[in-house]
This record gives sequence, structure tokens and C-alpha cells, in this order.
Amino acid sequence: MDMNAVEAENLTVLYGGQPALEGLTFNVEEGKTMLLLGPNGAGKTTLLRTIAALHSEYSGKLLVFGEPPHKARDLISYVPQSHSLNERVPLTAMEVVAMGSIYRESFLHFRIPTSAMDKAKEVLGFVGLAGMENRLFRELSGGQKQRVLLARALMSDPRLLLLDEPLSALDPSARVEVTAVLSKIKRERGLTMIITTHDINPLLEIGDRVMLINKRLIEFGKPEEVLRDDVVKSVYGPLARAVKVEGKLFCITGDAHIYHRREEM
Amino acid sequence: MIPEYILRAILASIAVSVLLGLLSPIINMKGLAFLTHATFHSLLFGAVLGMVFGLILENLSLVMIVALIVTIIVVVLIAELEKKGFSSDSAVGIVASFVAGLTVLSFGVLYKVMASRPYFPLSENIVSYLTGEIFLITLNDLLTLVVGGIVAFFIMLLLYRDFLYLSFDPEGLESYGGNSRAYLMILYVLVGGIGALIVKTVGLITLQVVAVLPGAIALMMSSDIRKILGVSLFLTLGVELSSVVLAYFTGIPPSGLATIMLGVIYGVLLSRR
Repeated sequence: MDMNAVEAENLTVLYGGQPALEGLTFNVEEGKTMLLLGPNGAGKTTLLRTIAALHSEYSGKLLVFGEPPHKARDLISYVPQSHSLNERVPLTAMEVVAMGSIYRESFLHFRIPTSAMDKAKEVLGFVGLAGMENRLFRELSGGQKQRVLLARALMSDPRLLLLDEPLSALDPSARVEVTAVLSKIKRERGLTMIITTHDINPLLEIGDRVMLINKRLIEFGKPEEVLRDDVVKSVYGPLARAVKVEGKLFCITGDAHIYHRREEM
Repeated sequence: MIPEYILRAILASIAVSVLLGLLSPIINMKGLAFLTHATFHSLLFGAVLGMVFGLILENLSLVMIVALIVTIIVVVLIAELEKKGFSSDSAVGIVASFVAGLTVLSFGVLYKVMASRPYFPLSENIVSYLTGEIFLITLNDLLTLVVGGIVAFFIMLLLYRDFLYLSFDPEGLESYGGNSRAYLMILYVLVGGIGALIVKTVGLITLQVVAVLPGAIALMMSSDIRKILGVSLFLTLGVELSSVVLAYFTGIPPSGLATIMLGVIYGVLLSRR
């Protein structure tokens, strides 16, 4: 039997005593990728932050690799939305990536250890950014920045990657770049991933499960089971649609981005 | 022969420059200008309270200690409010308003205490906190500044990269195993502590400018963190020393001169963008 990377049962997440998410029950098997969908304010980021042990006000059961999130922290890497970063700080790509491992080792970081620098070079190469170590993070393109953040997330050899809107504010070619890296991570490293997104279509290629939430669980299952016209409409409104064209599944929400998933049936 | 009080002023200027030169870029990058403003104002409350205690206990060396303690309490309060979900702006605003009220109240108490004591040049002492009197720095003040400054300097140096990461992505720092709350608290205490150490030299009125502008100018001039630190350090040092020399010849308070010089440099750089 496959081990569950994340297991939630009747999970209610609170903010200031008020429920932000109510009664979620789901599990994500190790090595699988779950796409987390929902409109703005649905609680997607809240759920990710709770799994990442960045928010601890919750009731119900939440286990990450069989442990409460705060005990499984070393196994988790969280990639926040890139617009939440303060780019006034002139850090290089290498310095940003090194951040992913040095805090597991010590409290003081006057110098980045050579071992961390070597590993940072290796993971930058893995995400296709070899030779960009000394470029300033803020001078990179949107797709490159996202790949640097993915490299940072890989530094600590996590088993679970939590990605908050990795494709937001990216142009189509950058989306393809980032999706290709995510696909490579899944294929070559076999990590469990939970990815929040507004635009599911580019990610359907790698998604094994889809969870639709809006303060509570709407649907959870395989993409073909969840992304039904009636379900999508109930969450995103009457203009949203889930359609199959020539055997490919398309999901058109408010953003009306179109991509495809080849049917595996 | 250079008079001893000038030597003391020069040494104090060097100490202030090293501390503010390092701290100023972080204040700019982390967006702490408002917090710095509030923290430095809490120093006035601390100084007045210290004078009240100093008069009652007949020990005016309490002034700086009380100012330091009050400032640290203020930054801890701000950090606690932020922890409870207040935005940084709101937390600073709430605490600063409260401290402003306490400052007015403490002045009332001070005047009453002063009226019941024999004459002591306290009014000059208060003015030195407001405008800075680098030429009136005593050997004891200088010793406190140097010893406290060395401690603050090494803490800053050891944690500088962590402060950069904290400014860049506090949530990321936390999720990768760092304790962002601890780093933030240390940074706030450093801001308050350095303020308390240098307030008599720089003066409350101009402290904010001298703490913010060198870093702002350095960030305009470079994107390399080493160069930013270098510019900030040498700029602060140059401005502080030249303001001491100018003040010696003109009789204008050096803190005012330093502020004007920094303002002009910033304005020139801005106009050339």
C-alpha cells in the first residue's frame, strides 16, 4: 500500500478564531501531484501554509508523512508566490538558492558554506539555469525567478513540495519553461507536489489528483472525475466550462486559459 | 594640538558612522523607516523618564540606561502586535501614539520633580537629546558608545546575511528552518539599542534622517551588497566627520549639517535619475 504524504481528516483551519477552511478530508499519496483549485479567497494558500507548518491554528487531523506538520518540516519545501518577495534586497540567484539549505544547519550564516554553494550550482543546473549563479535575482525574467525558487526548494532534498501559484504572472513561454521543470522534478526525483493554481490547464499534464475547494471541499479525485462541467460552473460561475475536444480535457474558468490533457482512458 | 573634546567628537563620529553605515541599508531594504522613527521617538520618552529617575535617585547616568530599556520594551511591544496579526504600520502607529502620550505626561512629571530639587542643567540635557551635542560627549558617554557599539557591530556582522534573507522572504526563511521571529526581534532590538547609544551624539530630531538616508543613497548607487555597504559606511563617515569640522568653525550643530548634506546628496542623485 502506498504511503500517504499528506493525510487530512475533518481539517478546519482557523484565522483569529474564525474558520478559513472547514471539514477537509483528503489524502495525497507519496510521489503523486495534486493540483489545488479554487477561486480567490477559497483558502488555497491557507491550506498550503498549514501543511508547511507556517500556520498552526487548526483542528482535526493533519499528518505529513505520518507526523504533525511541525515535526515533518525537514521533509517539506514551500515555494511562496513570487510577488511576495522583496526584490529591493539585491541577492544573487546563488544566495537565494543557498537559503534553502543553510538554515537546517546553523543559526549564523556569515558565509555560505562551500558545500551549500556546490549544491546550489547543481540544483541551478537541474532547473536549467547553469551559469546564472551570480546574476541578481531581481534582474531575472519571471520564468527564471520561478525556477530559482524551485531550485531553492530542492536544496534540502525534500519529499514534499508545496507550490503557491507557480505560474501566476508568467507569460506563455515562461509557463512552458516552469511546467517543464515541474514535470522533470516529478519524473526524475519522484517528489510529492501540491500545486495551487488559477489556471489548471498547463499543469494537467502532471496532475494526478485535483482538489477543488471554496472554504470547504467541493470535489477531490482524478482530473477526469473532478473537472466536470457542472462542478466547474458551481465554483467559478456560469461562464466556466470543462470540455473535451478530440479526447483532450480543457478547463475554462474566469481566466479562459486553454491547454490540454491527453486522455489516458 | 587638537582639543580633547574634538578628539572625543571625532571618535564618536567614527563609532556612529560604522553603526549607522551598516544598519541603514537594512532599514531601507526591510522597510523599517517608520519603525525607526517610532523607536527613536520612544528614546525621548525613555530619556525624560531616565531624568526623572536620575533626579530622584541623584544618578543621571540612569538616563541612557532607562532610554535603552524603554526603547527595547517599545520594539518588543511592536513585534508582539505584529505577531498578533497587526500590520507593521498599524503596530508601529499604535505603540508610537501611546508612547507620544506618555512622553507628554513624563515631561509634566519631570517639571514637577525639577521644581522640587536644587537647580541642575537638565534643560540643556534634554536639548542635547533633541539636537545632539557631539562636542559635549563625555568620556563615559564615549566609552558606553564604543563598548555598546562593538557589541552591536558584531551582532550585525554575524547576522547580516540573515537580515538580508529576512528582508527578502521572511516566510521562506521560516519554512526552510530559520526562526524569522527571532531574527526580526534581534533586528528591532538592534535598531532601538543603536538609537539609544548614538542619540546624544546625533540628536533625536535628526537621528531618523541619518539612519535612513545613507542606506537609501547607497541603494540608489549600486546593486552589489558589498558596494552598498561600502558606500553607506564611507558616506556616513564622510558626512559625520565633515559636519564635526564645519560645526567647529561655524558653530552650527553638526547633526543639522549632516542632515542637510545627506539631503542634498540624495536630492542631487534623485534629480540625475
